[in-house]
Amino acid sequence: MSRFLAVEDSLVRMQRDLDRATSEDPKKVKWGMVIDLAKCIGCHACTIACVAENKLPPGVVYRPVLENEKGTYPAVARKFVPRPCLQCQNPPCTKVCPVTATYKNEAGVVVVNYKRCIGCRYCLVACPYSARTSDFGDWYTEGVTEADEVVYGKNAAAESYEADPATEYGKKWPKRGKGSPIGNARKCHFCLHRLAVNMLPACVTTCIGRATIFGNRNDPESLVFEMIASARAYQLKEELGTQPAVYYLA
Amino acid sequence: MPNQKSKERVMNSNPDWVVSRRDFIKTSAMLGSTMLCSGVASPFLADNRVWAEEIDNTYVHHLPENQIYSACQQCNTNCGMKVKVVDGMVKKIDGNPYSPWCMTPQIPEETPVKEAARIEGSLCPKGQAGIQTLYDPYRIVKVLKRSGNRGENKWKIISFDHAVEEIVNGGDLFGEGHVDGLKDIVVLRDPGIAKALAEDASLVAAKKMNIKDYKAKHAENLHYLIDPDHPDLGPKNNQFCFNWGRIKNGRGDLIKDFFSKACGSVNYHGHTTVCQGSLYFSGKAMSDQFVEGKLTGGGKFYWQADTGNAEFCIFVGANPFEANYGPPLRAQKVTEGTVDGRMKIAVIDPRCSKTAARAWKWFPVEPVNGVGAIAMAMIQWIIDNNRHDITYLTNANKAAARADREPTWSQAAWLVKIGSDGSPGKYLRGSDLERPLEERAGKDETTWNFDAFVVQSGDGYLSFDPNDENTIAEGDLLVDTTVQGIRVKSVLQIIHEASRKRSIDEWCELAGIGTLDFHEMAREFVSHGKKSVADLHRGVSQHTGGFYNVTAWYTVNVLIGNIGWQGGLCKATTHNYKGDLPGKPFDVTKQYAGGIKAWGVNIIRHSAVYDKTTLFEGFPAKRTWYPFCSDIYQEVIPSIGDQYPYQIKALLMYMGSPVYALPSGHTLINILRDTSKLPLFIASDIVVGETSMYADYIFPDTTYLERWEFPGAHPSVSPKVFPIRQPAVAPVIENVTVFGEQMPMNMEAMILSFAEKLGVPGYGENIFGPGGHMKREEDLYLRMVANVAFGDKPDGSDRVPAADAEEIRIFEQARRHLPKGVFDATRWKNVVGEENWPYVVYVLNRGGRFQSYANAYKNYQLVNAYDKMVGLYFENLVTTKNSMTGKPYHPHADFVPGPADCTGNLINDREDGFDMTLITYKYITQTKTRTGGNYWLNAVYPENFVEISTHDAGRLGFKSGDMVRMVSASNPGGEWDLGNGTRIPMQGKVRAIEGIRPGVVAFSLGHGHWAQGAITIEIDGHVVVQDKRRARGFHANAAMRVDPVLKNTTLSDVVGGSAVFYQSQVKLMKA
Repeated sequence: MSRFLAVEDSLVRMQRDLDRATSEDPKKVKWGMVIDLAKCIGCHACTIACVAENKLPPGVVYRPVLENEKGTYPAVARKFVPRPCLQCQNPPCTKVCPVTATYKNEAGVVVVNYKRCIGCRYCLVACPYSARTSDFGDWYTEGVTEADEVVYGKNAAAESYEADPATEYGKKWPKRGKGSPIGNARKCHFCLHRLAVNMLPACVTTCIGRATIFGNRNDPESLVFEMIASARAYQLKEELGTQPAVYYLA
Repeated sequence: MPNQKSKERVMNSNPDWVVSRRDFIKTSAMLGSTMLCSGVASPFLADNRVWAEEIDNTYVHHLPENQIYSACQQCNTNCGMKVKVVDGMVKKIDGNPYSPWCMTPQIPEETPVKEAARIEGSLCPKGQAGIQTLYDPYRIVKVLKRSGNRGENKWKIISFDHAVEEIVNGGDLFGEGHVDGLKDIVVLRDPGIAKALAEDASLVAAKKMNIKDYKAKHAENLHYLIDPDHPDLGPKNNQFCFNWGRIKNGRGDLIKDFFSKACGSVNYHGHTTVCQGSLYFSGKAMSDQFVEGKLTGGGKFYWQADTGNAEFCIFVGANPFEANYGPPLRAQKVTEGTVDGRMKIAVIDPRCSKTAARAWKWFPVEPVNGVGAIAMAMIQWIIDNNRHDITYLTNANKAAARADREPTWSQAAWLVKIGSDGSPGKYLRGSDLERPLEERAGKDETTWNFDAFVVQSGDGYLSFDPNDENTIAEGDLLVDTTVQGIRVKSVLQIIHEASRKRSIDEWCELAGIGTLDFHEMAREFVSHGKKSVADLHRGVSQHTGGFYNVTAWYTVNVLIGNIGWQGGLCKATTHNYKGDLPGKPFDVTKQYAGGIKAWGVNIIRHSAVYDKTTLFEGFPAKRTWYPFCSDIYQEVIPSIGDQYPYQIKALLMYMGSPVYALPSGHTLINILRDTSKLPLFIASDIVVGETSMYADYIFPDTTYLERWEFPGAHPSVSPKVFPIRQPAVAPVIENVTVFGEQMPMNMEAMILSFAEKLGVPGYGENIFGPGGHMKREEDLYLRMVANVAFGDKPDGSDRVPAADAEEIRIFEQARRHLPKGVFDATRWKNVVGEENWPYVVYVLNRGGRFQSYANAYKNYQLVNAYDKMVGLYFENLVTTKNSMTGKPYHPHADFVPGPADCTGNLINDREDGFDMTLITYKYITQTKTRTGGNYWLNAVYPENFVEISTHDAGRLGFKSGDMVRMVSASNPGGEWDLGNGTRIPMQGKVRAIEGIRPGVVAFSLGHGHWAQGAITIEIDGHVVVQDKRRARGFHANAAMRVDPVLKNTTLSDVVGGSAVFYQSQVKLMKA
């Protein structure tokens, strides 16, 4: 083996961190994420992986990536900022919920109980990061051809990838069109259904620049712990006191 | 039960969310430590968890029985993928952790699939959205036959059998008169007659036989020929033409061999030149070796950077964060390299691409001629500063290279004879110095005369053999002298002189880049030993001088001798799958034993020299001939239109859309619509696409998630690999019966059915020996997989481990949803035999076989290195006449300005007011023609823009959001004329940005569709209503310059074949 050869993919390291976390005393585990903006290349894989994993309808996005350009030709910089729910440890969104449908769980993940949510959208307004969106019941296959006799067609397509909701929160949800999560506020939940089976969140594994780091931020051996301590680390709108569990590296 | 709590915690702690009390999260042992020890089973330890029915987390994607590893094809990177199937449907796609495309390094091959089930590699957004290609509402599911004129978008459904029958037998198929069927075209079937006709035809072409004698001798068989007066055009079989867009091995073998080996046609042409043809064909020229007196045998290939180990990389016209086989294969290596401190990158691109945005330096190069100018400046700077690798370059033969432990050697020191006009000609040979020839034994008991090459070595002139392994030949590098009255120069001298035609400042000015920045880049390039590399792609090759741009930039690499070194230039290496090596289980090359050998001039005149055929009637030829390249996509349909050199009677287009993909693709429409020029046009497609809409018949195909294919590798993949695409889900199309077998109605079924009806050799019973039938696709593909599993050593020591009982159980379980027409464990096992089966399963269970990253490197070199001579001076070019000028081709890296037409005359549309240079790029969510129906992707980037600099926007009075139309000298109306009454203006919204060079207008490819659901069509009286989302944005390829001489073809590189994307001038008008 030659010098400098990469010996381990960070995804493998994070998987090991995850396995250690899930064997821990649960009270000691607080999930955290670090997004390295220097490694983010604006590919939107996380956005689409999340949409695919959670079967998000039009208008619902848990993890958009914002693109912008700075500077003047030829001194130009382009910035890409993935923006999931920042999983605030002092979340403004939960406080305004009139039915306590949204709250921070023990591991520090802000979740939504679809069964309780009444769709008032107060939380959407309260979030200083615009990290929540409403499910208005739209379909990507709306408006496509219905000529099912001669092409694959709308019904088959909708049945194939839109009708069955994902197993968010580990639950089996009814066919789309019959209740939750339509009408609910929706947001990133760190793929709890995957963590339950020792799998990293979808945005983490699909990240082609290895810009997203995930793990137990209480575990000093974990990569996420190490990265939170980086001199480049900061929190979005730190001054608001929301204490996000999602950090950025400048 | 400690893990019970953990389950509660991760799911939720609210009592509404009651979760299982069963212990199903049993933590695996720690990963890393054991994983790093090769040969030890990976630590994803099997556990005792009870599966789906016993847990109430309804998520089941993590179960190995719900996963199939395959290869993506949302673009040509062909990443490994993990397809998660639930209830018979694809529910999610992720990266394959066994694949080096998706992880660096990937997990060990020995990791049991059960343990890999929870691990995913990365995948780009297109890969993530592949479900929407598979389940596209506009997918066609039946064979369609046009019911109106070509391109009228009116279709009727016809049964598969009926369609095959019509195509094979011909007749009055459309009420427009008789159409020849395939049986009327594929007429020459007797190998003996074919051989006799072919051998004498080449004598006629070589003027060694009189045409009258030929006709007299073969009077009985002249009816097989296209034109008895030009027998070198070959048999009528050649009038059956195959053209493909994206095809890889396996599938590619099945369909190409049907044309070439079963039907005996020379016309099977790919699409390489629309991608990066001149890159491939520069690689071909540079890899020619000295074989029995000839410089020959170069492979169609190219090099890329060993991205994960380079310390400095210049990406020239390459954008690995968005395209360029980069995501995910190379992106991780660059982000980790640059951020974590291993590497630095510079990017040469007129646009501040996402890669440029992360670069140490971005060079906003002038797109028309800048890239070549920078290469010349680099060559000059490196040699003048004495920073070339003199030890390496001095080596003139294999013995010298091996003595220095160098994988390669070059021609830098070789001497070339200089003509009276000062231009370089052939190599100086021993015979020029009256040194004796040496008779040597060749293959097949022939002999040949070895005439030595010569280098100057101090005061003497050393004769040498490039392949000599014992006698070291080293030569002086910069030589300009006269020997025995012959003026000679060394190759490096010739190239150095070319680089000194302008000063560094002048080259930089021509390229539009800062001289100081250039000096810093050059200094950086020579400051990392062999771990510096220039990585090239389309932005170098898609110019009229593409071949010279590419060879110039590769010469820059050769100057530091980085080929084959860790962190230098790398090539792709794959396992042998055809089995034509000793010890292999199945030699599938023997399939077509009874077929005729295809012969004759092909329709695009590739690998052929005009003045060495009977068609020669002075210069220029009617259309360009291409002796040094092949797969010239832009030549196929225009040559059919001009019927040069002969008429094509039937064209099959597979997974290709040249109308959309080619520059000036609009010129193809009228040709395709003309039934007198092209009587029969068959397409294999998954939708009614921008090109297949002009076909007579469209056969539905399976998508990449429903079928087989072997994608091969890319040059930046350092491990030896063999990825496998395999059926992951039941096809959405119905079954048909061919050779008595049930199979999905896909491309393979269509070809097999043609073969069955035509009765051509290579199919049916006992083709691969007794009991070895060739009736179904997997009869071929599984044998190929068995060959790969066996490995490349005759004694079988390179064989993969056998799958154990548990892996075989998972394999079968994971395919429980596949219908019998696709998968049948017993039938599959019978194809390869009991003995091979566990090895085949082992490979299929991992989506291929992949050498470990660690084993791909040894002693700072690539284990799978290119380890031969590297050509820098191309004698074959200088001894061949250009068909359009009658002059020899220029034989070495140089600055060759453009754009030029096919006769070499420069085009200057700028003078006529077309003030902006048009360029294209890829936005990562789109692949040219394939991803328009992926709604998740369209949600991220619904339309493309006319991207110009804020400077130009101000100058032209545009602001972001303004609608503008793009017009050019060859498309003054700025529109697509679809030939069916519909005209689509080339107009889009302005986006004024800082990150683009002033004077340049860019658009991303993949929008502005007018088929595949973007337009309403009629099938069997049903209206298939358009989805306007699929038509959003615009497509400006029709603004690209049409060659003024040919008039129906884009500009092209006459040497390397590339279609020109970056040298068209346009004007923007307010729409």
